[in-house]
Amino acid sequence: MADPLPEIDRDLIGREFDRTVSKPVSAERMIRYARACGETNPRYLEDGPNLVATPTFPITVRRERFVPEGIPMEVMYRGMDAGKDVEIGVVVRPGDVLTGVGSLHDIYDKTGRSGKLRFVVLRMVVTNQRDEMVAVIDQRMMFR
Amino acid sequence: MLDFGDDIPQLRQTLSSEQIAEYVKSANQVAPRFLSDEGGRKDGLPGQIAPGNMSLALFARLLEGAAANVEVRRISATFRSFVRPRVALVASGVVTDVEERDDGCLLECDLMLETESGERLVTGTGTVFVAQG
Repeated sequence: MADPLPEIDRDLIGREFDRTVSKPVSAERMIRYARACGETNPRYLEDGPNLVATPTFPITVRRERFVPEGIPMEVMYRGMDAGKDVEIGVVVRPGDVLTGVGSLHDIYDKTGRSGKLRFVVLRMVVTNQRDEMVAVIDQRMMFR
Repeated sequence: MLDFGDDIPQLRQTLSSEQIAEYVKSANQVAPRFLSDEGGRKDGLPGQIAPGNMSLALFARLLEGAAANVEVRRISATFRSFVRPRVALVASGVVTDVEERDDGCLLECDLMLETESGERLVTGTGTVFVAQG
């Protein structure tokens, strides 16, 4: 018999559970990421005053905590990465210090052909040292 | 200038095992399933897979190829099946809405990543700003 859908306290929605500050972003790291993405645009590949990171670079920011306290990691391991929504703000430049703030954004159910599905949306808001929005990243985890 | 209903120029790519491994290293996302077929099989997968974030990066490249002076504002992706190395991929998109602005226009696009044989792997949407001139 399949495990029941995880019961997650809805009071956790909206609460910050992690705040991770990165080391200053280096040009080398931005260029390495751009190359790995297959980029050919010089603005992403050539070190110098015009260098910026690719639009998806902020998704490389890692949280120290992946889930809020109160949700066991073994529960999250049962989930599948169903998708991601990324709103992109100001560009990242070498030397930027990025802060990722994690929160539980939403929990909702859907009924599919295989039965009831539960979605848990983890949000990370990434800002730079000027407190400008760099990205809002919603990760949808799906449980069946 | 792109208009409602126009196709975005396709992006075709076959990811190598080494490209996926290099992507996850550069993205701080190292896990055995992304590094080798053996690592993937240990996780009960058919072999090595690419992370969802790499599909987002392909969508970003697709959107930036839509026109000159494109600024990607939003990308949304739904992961439907595994993206695997050594499989010919086709990323494509179509403009579904155009909003004129004083300094350019916002385009909404439907996006798709599929195999050359037509298996849908990732679907999504994107918003780009196209500056005038």
